Amino acid sequence: MSLNIKRIIIAVIGLFFLGSLLIVGAIENNKRTLGKKAAIKVSATSKNCVDCHTVKNPSLVEQWRDSKHAIRGVACMDCHEAQKTDVDAWEHEGHSIAVIVSPKDCSKCHARENQEFQESHHADAGKILGSLDNVLAEVVEGNTGRLGLDGNSPAAVNGCWQCHGSVVKIGKDGRPTPATWPNTGIGRINPDGSKGSCTACHSRHTFSPVVARQPDSCGKCHLGPDHPQKEIYEESKHGIAFKAFKEYMKLDVQPWRVGIEYTAAPTCATCHMSATQEQNVTHDVGRRISWNLRPPISEKIDAKAIKAGKLVESWEQRRKNMKNVCSKCHSEKYVDGFYVQFDSAINLYNEKYGMPSTKIIKMMKAGGVLTATAFDEELEWTYFYLWHHEGRRARHGAAMMAPDYTQWHGFFEVAERFYIHFVPQVKEACEKAIHESGEKMVAAKEVLKELDTILNKEEHKWFLGKMSGDEKASRNAAAEEFKKRYAQN
Amino acid sequence: MPKPKLSSLLDWTKERIPVDVQEWKSFTNEPVPNHLKHWWFALGGTPAILFGFQIVTGIFLLFYYVPTPTGAYDSITNITYEVRFGWYIRSLHKWSSELMIVTVMLHMTRVYFTGAYRNPRELNWMVGVVMLFVTFGLGFTGYSLIYDQLSYWAVMVGTEIAESTPLVGPLAADFIRGGPEISANTLTRLYIFHIVIFPAALAGLVVLHIIFVRLQGVTEFEFDHEKKLERKTFPLFPDHILTELLIAILILYILTMMTVFFPAGLGERANPLVTPNHIKPEWYFYASFKWLKLTNVYFGVLGQIAFAVVIFFWPFVDYFLIKWFPKTGMSIKIGFLGFSAYLVLTVWEAMT
Repeated sequence: MSLNIKRIIIAVIGLFFLGSLLIVGAIENNKRTLGKKAAIKVSATSKNCVDCHTVKNPSLVEQWRDSKHAIRGVACMDCHEAQKTDVDAWEHEGHSIAVIVSPKDCSKCHARENQEFQESHHADAGKILGSLDNVLAEVVEGNTGRLGLDGNSPAAVNGCWQCHGSVVKIGKDGRPTPATWPNTGIGRINPDGSKGSCTACHSRHTFSPVVARQPDSCGKCHLGPDHPQKEIYEESKHGIAFKAFKEYMKLDVQPWRVGIEYTAAPTCATCHMSATQEQNVTHDVGRRISWNLRPPISEKIDAKAIKAGKLVESWEQRRKNMKNVCSKCHSEKYVDGFYVQFDSAINLYNEKYGMPSTKIIKMMKAGGVLTATAFDEELEWTYFYLWHHEGRRARHGAAMMAPDYTQWHGFFEVAERFYIHFVPQVKEACEKAIHESGEKMVAAKEVLKELDTILNKEEHKWFLGKMSGDEKASRNAAAEEFKKRYAQN
Repeated sequence: MPKPKLSSLLDWTKERIPVDVQEWKSFTNEPVPNHLKHWWFALGGTPAILFGFQIVTGIFLLFYYVPTPTGAYDSITNITYEVRFGWYIRSLHKWSSELMIVTVMLHMTRVYFTGAYRNPRELNWMVGVVMLFVTFGLGFTGYSLIYDQLSYWAVMVGTEIAESTPLVGPLAADFIRGGPEISANTLTRLYIFHIVIFPAALAGLVVLHIIFVRLQGVTEFEFDHEKKLERKTFPLFPDHILTELLIAILILYILTMMTVFFPAGLGERANPLVTPNHIKPEWYFYASFKWLKLTNVYFGVLGQIAFAVVIFFWPFVDYFLIKWFPKTGMSIKIGFLGFSAYLVLTVWEAMT
């Protein structure tokens, strides 16, 4: 081959090479136009949304770009597109869209997750809207009239509803009303009739499992004086380990099984929802809970359904489900031992405080010793604090191994509330009623008699100064032993 | 009359760099035999060109790569998806490495079947064999740095194989891993091997390889049609250099098209707790992997070490073969069997 031919060939191949570099440049350019992720493909219908909202709400679009949805080609219109007949449909840039993406919309792709969620207690969180707590927000704390927002109490709108969910109402313009939206309460009642809000845990628009698996996600609602699960978790060894080893938690991997993908610590999701080698992930958060620790008197989680004649998973099976998770880090005996301790705490609360106080209050309400109006008397507040705040703290503290919540924020305050506030207030209200004639007087006497029976029970006798000789002796012996051991005088 | 500026500049330079241009020309324009006009004989320069590409693209990748277990995968994700032209550079590096191994093997095949390793070029063959192993080392360590599932588990299997080597195995495996198990130390070591030790060794060996070639000259062949030619040689520069340039540009073109159609991918993040269903090394280790699967680990490793030793000392083995079996073409037959076995094992592993 002559030199000249060689040179010509070099020139030709060189041109080809330059041409190929143009293709490389075009690919790079295309990537930049569509977003940072190479794999992101936006459908033609969603391209306009992306282009416009990139300018108007850049972070919103960027968060979506970081999502698995974006990588898999699920874009704006796949979730927000609405039928013209939908109650919440409105015209936007030539498309019929809806603002709210309900669990029903998500179920187009995530059917199993939606099914599980609909069967969960979370989906029914909106039921609170008819409960005693709601009387507080609507009436006691707030106002639905002069100071209300479209006939709703601002206390409920900004407080209760943001966790429990609003009943979303649609205005004349097809958009949700400001009183009921924005809202990501987990039991939201959506315009399409479906219950719930996936974004309550899977924050939009990244929908990252990292967020949903964070204890902080649950902590948006499960914290505070009445159900401090988040703080309880943080006090427990579980929470301590999570904080220490968060970087090893692989919160973004799929599947995410304790003992396989990660071993460092459990989060709320680990125990209540996530998969193990034997169990699938579940969006029914009650599948591993054996006690209902919310009501004034705790009961097994299936009790209500059994009373209503409904067939549900038994509490024994649910406990087995939870034990399966525990077993990934703890031995069988250890887990069994924990449940013996936990059950004993719930039994103590129920028998010593929950049942007696509830019985007394019911008798007083029925006999007219207390008025029919909720929260208009100090005793009602005392009782509410007893079971709704302190009683739950003691129970939840025991459920999730937080000793301080069980003791000082829990049983200590329950006892103080019972002996120092509840008992004197019951006596005071009854004595007041006795001075009045009629049914009230009879009922008050009955209540006092019942209170006397309660206080004369073995666990309360100390309050009347009636501790048995044996018990006194054993307490003194214990005190002596303690002094001796720690060389105290 | 004042001297022209260019001429005075040349004088200035010549004073400080006293190299005779004519001597330099004789070095670069050294005549090379006619047979080098055949493309087949230009294969030796190809891996060198690719090695050059690897150094350039490798340096670019180093700007972004983070050699820690927590940072490695993320930095490669960053290179692949975020960094401007990162995917192109990474894909070039990947395809260039694979092509480098192909061309090294082709060059070796050519040298083997033309008997170019024979007296007096035995030592250069041995240098070449070491270069082959270093190239494999570069491939293995480079693949390991990605830190996705397959890459991580390839290291796991690789170090376990090393561990099963008799006598030195456990020590070697501990040395590679930087401890009894794969950890941050392992990644650091693989990284140092990939970016410093192996490239430096290969660069040194390339120089040595070329020095040997220059000292001994390339093996001279004469094809039938060349026998009639009056000029038995042609100049290295520009003739042969142009050939190499042509090859270089052609390779760049092919590599770029490969990156366009088959950009380097990225698997799931490495997870030490989950063994993937199918652990596979890079294709050039398929034969070795299959061989290990077919035999027991002990025999498998020993067999491969023996194979490597035989290849390394082949010019001397060949000497005895010729002495004991004259005129049988025994070396060609054995070579044919050896290369066929490698191909069969590779294809077999690829299909399973």
